[in-house]
Amino acid sequence: MSVIVAGSLTQRFGSEVGLDGVDVDVDAGEHLAVLGDNGAGKTTLLRILATAARPTSGSLEIFGLNATIERRRLRAVIGFVAHAPGLYPALSARENLEFYCTLHGVDRGRVAEILELVGLAELAGRPADKLSRGAQQRLAIGRAVLHDPKLLVLDEPDASLDSGGADLLARVMRGRTAVLATHDHALANRLCQRTLVLRRGRVVGVPTRLRVVH
Amino acid sequence: MRSIAVALAVARKDLTSEWRTRELVPALAQFVVLALVIANFGFQIDARNAPAIAPGVLWMALVFAGLVAFGRAFAAEREQSSLEAMLMTPASPAAIFAGKALAAGLLLVLCEAVLLPALALFFSVPLSFEVVSAVLLATVGMAVLGCLFAAMVARVRARELLLPLLTLPLWIPFIVFGGQAVQVAMGGSGGTGNALGLLIDLDILFVVLTSLTARFVLDD
Repeated sequence: MSVIVAGSLTQRFGSEVGLDGVDVDVDAGEHLAVLGDNGAGKTTLLRILATAARPTSGSLEIFGLNATIERRRLRAVIGFVAHAPGLYPALSARENLEFYCTLHGVDRGRVAEILELVGLAELAGRPADKLSRGAQQRLAIGRAVLHDPKLLVLDEPDASLDSGGADLLARVMRGRTAVLATHDHALANRLCQRTLVLRRGRVVGVPTRLRVVH
Repeated sequence: MRSIAVALAVARKDLTSEWRTRELVPALAQFVVLALVIANFGFQIDARNAPAIAPGVLWMALVFAGLVAFGRAFAAEREQSSLEAMLMTPASPAAIFAGKALAAGLLLVLCEAVLLPALALFFSVPLSFEVVSAVLLATVGMAVLGCLFAAMVARVRARELLLPLLTLPLWIPFIVFGGQAVQVAMGGSGGTGNALGLLIDLDILFVVLTSLTARFVLDD
């Protein structure tokens, strides 16, 4: 069963074309890596798939729902890690997650579990602006899975992570459908079953299957 | 009920952040006191003209403090890239907006807690229940409108210029009726009942209108 079915996604920024007729099909439980150089359109594509942006044209269905109309319903089942962590610097790691528990309507008891998952249990009381960039990224990843989403959209989540970052990503992606944008081909090979390569807003070739899905 | 919980969580988050960083309120308090000092030197204040000049000075200081307070409400979210993270939850954008407006309004009330006694001190005017009521009622409407336009311009480059251009025309009714109520309460002629009633009407109108439009401003 397809979780994401996108047809001819196009995004224009004035006269610039960010995405040009991109088709994406992701099955349930599948992990898709989106590769491409800077400016290829990875972030634009991921923001559309996460419902953070609307495409200029094209169709997008996620879990069978029209993603341009049913955004709020879909956001309850999508976890998004954007380029910037988007944390509140004066709030502690725990307070940041507790705040998002209220927004997601999730029990605050989940916070301890998530802090443990992302390896920040010992830094839970530290303000977000006193955390290292890598720890901030871990916190942003924790926030994205706080509500136990079925679909994860990860925009270069490995950018600031240390050597344990790949293991963390493997843990949070396990059991979920995921779309991961990265420059790290080795990471894509380890975590994803298929790759989609973008160049200047267009898909290059056909999506490649990296290994057999078990 | 969930929308109320979201709005309160957003407001608590903003107030906690302000309490810990103390970025806005001390600066605003200094600003309003300085504005009063300058007005005190600029006008030849005496017992006869103080009730006529003080309301104008009060609203000028309040309007400019409000522009700064409401502008910061969404500028901080933009700088931290956190507004999108909030909107990526199933929480209602109207509830998020209400929380932001509530926090910004309360920060302006804190500023008013400095402004009003300072005004009474510098201008020797009475600080009555009617004066406080008029200022608080105007703050509600000014907060929702100010935050709506602050959210609208947060993503554009010339936001510092655009915010007053968009907001001030719609704040004029609050300044007119609030000014009228304060003028009367400070010794002018007429009654405050009508002006306060109109301020309540304006508050209801703009709270409803901004709640309906917040979704389109924040999320589209």
